[in-house]
Amino acid sequence: MSALAAEVGQVLPSFSRTLERADLVRYAGASGDFNPIHWSDGAAAALGLPDVIAHGMLTMGTALRVVTDWCGDPARVRSYSVRFTKPVVVPADGGAVVRFGGTVTKVEDGVATVSIEATCDGVLVLGAATAEVFLG
Amino acid sequence: MPISEDHVGRSYPATAPYEVSRAKIAEFAAALGDADNPAYAGEAPVAPPTFAVVLAAAAWDAMFADPELGLSLSRTVHVDQKFTWQRPLRAGDEVTATLTIEKVRARGATAIITIAVALSTASGEALCTAASTLMHTNEEAA
Repeated sequence: MSALAAEVGQVLPSFSRTLERADLVRYAGASGDFNPIHWSDGAAAALGLPDVIAHGMLTMGTALRVVTDWCGDPARVRSYSVRFTKPVVVPADGGAVVRFGGTVTKVEDGVATVSIEATCDGVLVLGAATAEVFLG
Repeated sequence: MPISEDHVGRSYPATAPYEVSRAKIAEFAAALGDADNPAYAGEAPVAPPTFAVVLAAAAWDAMFADPELGLSLSRTVHVDQKFTWQRPLRAGDEVTATLTIEKVRARGATAIITIAVALSTASGEALCTAASTLMHTNEEAA
């Protein structure tokens, strides 16, 4: 692969994804995580949630597209970490719109550090989301 | 006996080898809304980086099944997650996962548990480490 250019402060293209119930069911099947809080109104209500919530890993996985869409090759991703700050509540009607973006915060020794932002209704749903990307 | 600092360092046997398939990679990429990325298609695709969680979760089962720890997935909150990759997982890789309990901070009925799952090929090549912090509440407190 050819070298990728990155500079501190560079803003990566952002995108939105509407997560609907069907997307949660699809991710449950693909990942094997069938925790009912992601598909059962009753299970969500029993935990005091206003509605079912998206898998944290679905939000985490989707957010990394900020990096992979930019760098082209997912093999460049060296590390990726997030805190699951706030659940994404997914109502049956209309789903939830999550907005993803990223900024290069460090470039050192051929590795760019990208700070990723994921918000739903203007509230951060991932904390300290950071990926390291090999540039060489 | 609930989980405590005494369990730090405990590891479980590696999971049975899991063969990463092109179909599973395509399914997972589609679930992330990323079916159009050519890296996840074709004859020799790589897996989306966070596909590693599928393998890591298989390793979690051994810890949750350990009767000495008294853990339940339904009383567990996933606090944070970190992946570090040596190389991407690819179609055809036979992957095993080994979980180690790295840190436990128990306070009252709540325990903060840090685990690390090492993914490697069946022949021993290191692929990825999936580290998680979990917050667990004991049944008595529920």
